[in-house]
Amino acid sequence: MKIEIIREILKNKSLNKEFALITNLINGESEIFFPGNNPNGMFSKYSEEIEKIFHLNKNGIIEDSEIFVQIYKNPIKVIIIGAVDISMYLIDFAKNLNFEIIIVDPRGYFASKERFPDTKIINKWPNEAFDEIETNTKTALVTLTHDPKIDDPALKYALKNKFFYIGALGSKKTHEKRCSRLLEVGFKKVELEKINGPIGINLGGKSPSEIALSIISQLVSEKYKN
Amino acid sequence: MSNFSEKKIFEEADNWIKNNKKVSLATVVQTWGSSPLGIGSRMIVSEDGNFLGSVSGGCVESKVVEECISLMKTKKICKKIDFKVSNENAWEMGLACGGDISIYIEEIK
Repeated sequence: MKIEIIREILKNKSLNKEFALITNLINGESEIFFPGNNPNGMFSKYSEEIEKIFHLNKNGIIEDSEIFVQIYKNPIKVIIIGAVDISMYLIDFAKNLNFEIIIVDPRGYFASKERFPDTKIINKWPNEAFDEIETNTKTALVTLTHDPKIDDPALKYALKNKFFYIGALGSKKTHEKRCSRLLEVGFKKVELEKINGPIGINLGGKSPSEIALSIISQLVSEKYKN
Repeated sequence: MSNFSEKKIFEEADNWIKNNKKVSLATVVQTWGSSPLGIGSRMIVSEDGNFLGSVSGGCVESKVVEECISLMKTKKICKKIDFKVSNENAWEMGLACGGDISIYIEEIK
């Protein structure tokens, strides 16, 4: 493979583009393929198969050929409400687990660049922040402030927009109160089942890093649930 | 399929190339039965035997490093290597999981 192709892959990934790398395992030729476009030269006759593999999101060799397709899709975006201690550990864990992290906190003294270097932080209320974040069914929400003023609007948004995962920090009791507030504003009980509350897999730990581990574990396990 | 660590591997490959080293890339392209790492897992190997990433979680890496180094000494561009339980070599290498894997190696130029 040409080093230029590797550089192009890195560049496209940093631009959050979704694409595939097609390689001819016989002669070593490879090229980058963007869905909807026609691949070049000898790859062109496989365009349908490549497109199919891309949508299945499963790397592999095209049947009865020596053409290998590797897919590059964007990682799951995790929006964390609350620039708190747990968030710092979540960022650390996420680095090696293929999650994109965005922190939202209207409280400037929490959401500072000094506390969160190299992280995307939006120093706004959730409703304003969601105006500038692209969300879809691959987006996850983690609320950590346990302040209803900040957490609730984000939860409402995530429920309405069918997020991939929703988790809210707080005890069982806090979660019950949260659910009754959401019921009052018209959400249905079945919709609220989507919220993981108390958040995370029960590992028994109580420290911020242990809670972060339990949250990230739950996110990983949800990712592989079919 | 996640390819998070691939970023690190590719960035390092770029560094090695910038330092005028010959580098090969190994990729898992097919698996049968239980295999430790999924299709698309990658590893880079430099001509001096340094490597980063993984294609089998430790079972066949040493053989892949060896194959990559010898590939870079020839004019060949690429090669596909099958590690099967029935294959004597793989037996020696000990694909303990009992799965078969195909690994494609190519020089980065």
